[in-house]
Amino acid sequence: MAKRQCEEALAKLFEYIDGELPDSDLLRIGEHLKDCPPCEAEHQINEKIRMLVSQAHGDKAPHQLRERVLSTIQAARAELQAEG
Amino acid sequence: MTVMELEVRPRVAGATLTDRTVGSVAMSDDISLDFETLALSYMDQLYAAALRLTRNSADAEDLVQETYAKAFKAQDKFTMGTNLKAWLYRIQTNAFINTYRKKQREPKRTDADTVEDWQLAAAAEHQSSGLASAEQEALDSLGDTEVRRALSELSDDFRMAVYLSDVEGFAYKEIAEIMNTPVGTVMSRLHRGRRMLREKLREYAAERGIYERSAGDADHG
Repeated sequence: MAKRQCEEALAKLFEYIDGELPDSDLLRIGEHLKDCPPCEAEHQINEKIRMLVSQAHGDKAPHQLRERVLSTIQAARAELQAEG
Repeated sequence: MTVMELEVRPRVAGATLTDRTVGSVAMSDDISLDFETLALSYMDQLYAAALRLTRNSADAEDLVQETYAKAFKAQDKFTMGTNLKAWLYRIQTNAFINTYRKKQREPKRTDADTVEDWQLAAAAEHQSSGLASAEQEALDSLGDTEVRRALSELSDDFRMAVYLSDVEGFAYKEIAEIMNTPVGTVMSRLHRGRRMLREKLREYAAERGIYERSAGDADHG
């Protein structure tokens, strides 16, 4: 496997995963990943980490925060109306 | 990890007022109600992000409350039809930097890190197939607690960039606006942040005996 292709694929791997590459790069790197198992393994590992991070962080706002925010907004609205 | 799972990951970073639920909340003539309803729909996400920033729930709640107070007062500066979620995150990030980071007295870091830095480093990443599959196995065995711990150990700028991209699915350009930095800096932070995160996950797996780095070293030749 051409070393330069690996270097490019690895350098742009995060942009590839994040959907930030122009189509021409996307296709070229996609093709390379299909043909190069070590680069594809890097791709899989980074995708997996991204997914783990995404899954581990789904906290919900506590109920009391929701109430606090609503009363904050009501106070701000009253203030705005008094000014207007 | 299956293809299905990958596709479920929210990639709709640029959800705007127009492509969201305007239809369902447009019943009222009161435009501020629309703004309020939409803004409040992001509370869980803002809170989760605030937890990452402040690292504790009391400060996270204060930060979210401050964010909404500021957003509501500044709502006439928001252009309807543009990205409300990114706008709220920017307010929250600024509030964090101005209030909490000062409180934490964290030394200000410079942004001397350049794009070339990580591009040069990237070439070294190719590893043997044995090591790669050991790492994949190790990742599969890690739980949410370890992943959260790893992210929480990154410094603010790296943690924030990784969070905004991986969890919230913001585009680089949006992260740049939220963090008020050039896109190149966002890319650099993402590269370095993810690299450090991966290194920490390897360490945790090794601590638990799941992933032996020495096994990989023997594999190189």
